[in-house]
Amino acid sequence: MTAVRYVEATRTYPGGETPAVDSLSLDIADGELLVLVGPSGSGKSTALRMLAGLEPLDAGAIHIGDRDVTSVRPRDRDIAMVFQNYALYPQLSVAENMGFALKQHGVPKDERTARVRETARILDLEPFLDRKPKQLSGGQRQRVAMGRAIVRQPAVYLMDEPLSNLDAKLRVQTRTEVVELQARLGVTTVYVTHDQVEAMTMGHRVAVLKDGILQQCDAPSTLYHQPVNLFVAGFIGSPAMNLVEIGEAHPARIGETEIVLDRAAADGAGRLTVGFRPEALHLGDGPLPARIRAVEDLGSEMFVHVAVEHQGDTVQLIAKTSPPFGGSAGDRVGLQIAGTMHLFGEDGSRVASGPASLSSAGAVSRS
Amino acid sequence: MSGDDATPAVGERRWVNLALGILAWSTALIFFFPVLWMVLNSFKTEEEANASPNLNFEPTLDRYREVTESAGGLLSFGEAFMNSAVVVLVSTLIVLALAIPAAYALAVKPVVKWRDVLFFFISTKFLPVVASILPIWILARDLELLNTRLVLIVLYTAINLPLAVWMLRSFFAEIPRELIEAAEIDGARLRGQLTSVILPLAAPGIAATALLCVIFAWNEFFYAVQLNPVDGSTVPVWVTTNISTRGEFLAQLSAASVLACIPVVLAGWIAQKRMIRGLAMGAIK
Amino acid sequence: MPRRAGRELRLSDSWRRRLPLLPALLFLILLTQVPFALSVYYSLTDWTVVPPGPREFVGLDNYRELLRDDFFRDAIVTSIQLTVFPVVAALVLGTAFALLLDRKFFGRGVVRTMLITPFLLVPVVIGLVWKNQMFHGLYGVINWVIEKLGGAPVEFVSEHPTLSIIITLIWQWTPFMMLIILAGLQSQPSDVLEAAKVDGAGPFAIFRQLTLGHLRPYMELGVLLGAIYLIQVYDQIAVITGGGPGSTNVPYYVFQRSIGGGWQFGLASAYSIVVVIASIVIATFALRVLSRLLKGEAAA
Repeated sequence: MTAVRYVEATRTYPGGETPAVDSLSLDIADGELLVLVGPSGSGKSTALRMLAGLEPLDAGAIHIGDRDVTSVRPRDRDIAMVFQNYALYPQLSVAENMGFALKQHGVPKDERTARVRETARILDLEPFLDRKPKQLSGGQRQRVAMGRAIVRQPAVYLMDEPLSNLDAKLRVQTRTEVVELQARLGVTTVYVTHDQVEAMTMGHRVAVLKDGILQQCDAPSTLYHQPVNLFVAGFIGSPAMNLVEIGEAHPARIGETEIVLDRAAADGAGRLTVGFRPEALHLGDGPLPARIRAVEDLGSEMFVHVAVEHQGDTVQLIAKTSPPFGGSAGDRVGLQIAGTMHLFGEDGSRVASGPASLSSAGAVSRS
Repeated sequence: MSGDDATPAVGERRWVNLALGILAWSTALIFFFPVLWMVLNSFKTEEEANASPNLNFEPTLDRYREVTESAGGLLSFGEAFMNSAVVVLVSTLIVLALAIPAAYALAVKPVVKWRDVLFFFISTKFLPVVASILPIWILARDLELLNTRLVLIVLYTAINLPLAVWMLRSFFAEIPRELIEAAEIDGARLRGQLTSVILPLAAPGIAATALLCVIFAWNEFFYAVQLNPVDGSTVPVWVTTNISTRGEFLAQLSAASVLACIPVVLAGWIAQKRMIRGLAMGAIK
Repeated sequence: MPRRAGRELRLSDSWRRRLPLLPALLFLILLTQVPFALSVYYSLTDWTVVPPGPREFVGLDNYRELLRDDFFRDAIVTSIQLTVFPVVAALVLGTAFALLLDRKFFGRGVVRTMLITPFLLVPVVIGLVWKNQMFHGLYGVINWVIEKLGGAPVEFVSEHPTLSIIITLIWQWTPFMMLIILAGLQSQPSDVLEAAKVDGAGPFAIFRQLTLGHLRPYMELGVLLGAIYLIQVYDQIAVITGGGPGSTNVPYYVFQRSIGGGWQFGLASAYSIVVVIASIVIATFALRVLSRLLKGEAAA
């Protein structure tokens, strides 16, 4: 039973004004693949390194299984780590790279060779066992880095953006392999990435971090449909959620068009922002006038970028639709919202959500 | 690896860190001791300096006064210092002026046989200085260059050039190719590429190289004492005139030594971080 | 027509590449090959300057005399001692210092400043200060320590000339090695070291299995440069022992035979030519090291 727990873990770099990781509390279940995601500077890598023991804690604690490992050295934590740039030992062969940790822990040579060979088989690395890292391609090196971690059969895997140096196609392919492998091995894994698509497709749960503070930790679909604040709403989902500041006006409007929403929950929340996903925005002859800026045709779906006049500025929105779509840049089109709309208060937190629409005439009550 | 912050890594026992810090300090103090003692001696009287070591003395600047007095016909400190300064600065500048384009031709737009050329440069240091002195002395005499600064400038340039070319070539080889190509597309040729891309990026390496040239040129003794025994001589030669066969001279020698060493020591102290960074950047590769 | 223009273009390109190299190359050729050629010429004559004699061509006579010369043989032994011991000791000590300096501790900058100072000093100063201040039979600091520990004072310079000079050379060159090794330590990618920590390697294991391999080219460079300079040591010998037995290396011996009092320019030149040839032979072995250093770059 190796769960991982962060208990109000905090780390401030010397000379830094704000903590890199601020009071992070996370419970990671045994066998779970938890993804830490966030923009650069969000503290996700620092949080991972704290778990590895490469970064000391200034406050709080970290538990692996039943043990409090806060002051335990990396090598005694029973963890294995895959580094972003792979960190392979340059003068050792692939086999020696993978066997390095086993050697340090005194595993006898026969067993070492057997385990290395077995892992190499799983990862298709057998032909390369005698080569040095510099003779391998990027994708092969990545697999050696993974193999080095897998062969150890640790309590926890740590992965620091292991796919970010691969080209796009290889990345997608390897993503699936990592998920399958993790499911098969059943080892608790903490995975760091800046790519929210990767996070959404890989994690059992995803923890979103910003400026060292945990924003939300939930299953991907929960994050998508019930973001806890503006940041998560805007970060998760590609293309990003449409966000429009509507201020405190009664009734709420985008441009000249009224939105129907229940304002009771929004009372006291100050200046509001509404959010709705591209698939909730419909193009046609809806009540909100807009001008098409660009049309992206991806074959199976299309993203239409439109511009709307709102409160004296031009606001840009994205709509998702399926082909065929006849419009092109410069056309005028009418927008309608049919789907979930979120309301965010002045402090960014989500205040209310529900089906909503735009009205051309008066208010249409929300059911 | 920056700063002096002493927080130990996770799980490392504090006392290990402390012990190693103390070890480093003690080692450095022992290693540095001869220098420290030399400086102390320079402020003593000859009696005090030549007695058994002790720390009880009244510091005086008399030794410094004595060694810098005009030596009446013999080499004085002022003259030696000026000679050294001029010779070292001029020769280092010439070395850089010659070595920078040469390094360009060996690293940035390499000549086909650059490895052979590099070997040739280093091989010029195989002929011992004590051997080349014979023909050089004769040539210098015939060209009436004995006891001039010019002969030392020329020779110091020759002995530092191979090292400078070697080091600058490694540093230039570290510069990303794309930056050179971008400059080329923008129309820059040798001089443009140098000024806009190479020199700014290789600056720490150039500083390290220049410092090494200064160290070797300032400290050079053999050519100076053989070719310029009277006029035009340098600080290292002047130091040896402070030994006397009669009586005690340790304090005076110490004062002279301190004066002789200060410029290069200060330069080295100020530039040490740059030197390490320069060496780390690309002296190997 | 187009083909000729193409060939012309290629020609000027290769010369354009050579051009920046020429000033340095020509300067060095002039200043090193001319003396070398003259030395070869002198070595084939029996030229003595005091008493002044005619410069007559004697072919390889000087070289034959060299083979019979016991002093020359001793000088070679001394040269080897004065090169190998300081290089090795300075490398080991310099590496140890670099390792100490590679961690963070209070006042690291000051410690580093103290440790590099010996290399910055004027070599004749090093020689004179060690001879008169440290090694002195009566008032030397080392003997003061020895006496405090209950031992008898040692006359370093007169009884152990070679050792005395070697000590000063080690003291002078350790900072040089230290700087090179320090640069090597700092250029190690930190994530590889972290991976080793996570994999369970303690500090000794990391040093032995990873760091040492990474430091190898740096050590080779240190040894190469150090050897090139140490073979030619003159200053310390001149001021510490003045060339007594056991402290005369080949350069100093050549000096003694020529302008140091022997005035036999022809013979001395022959000796130096032998040194040059020996250096080239040794260097060709070292060239393999050099090649590997440089080839590492071509492959990268």
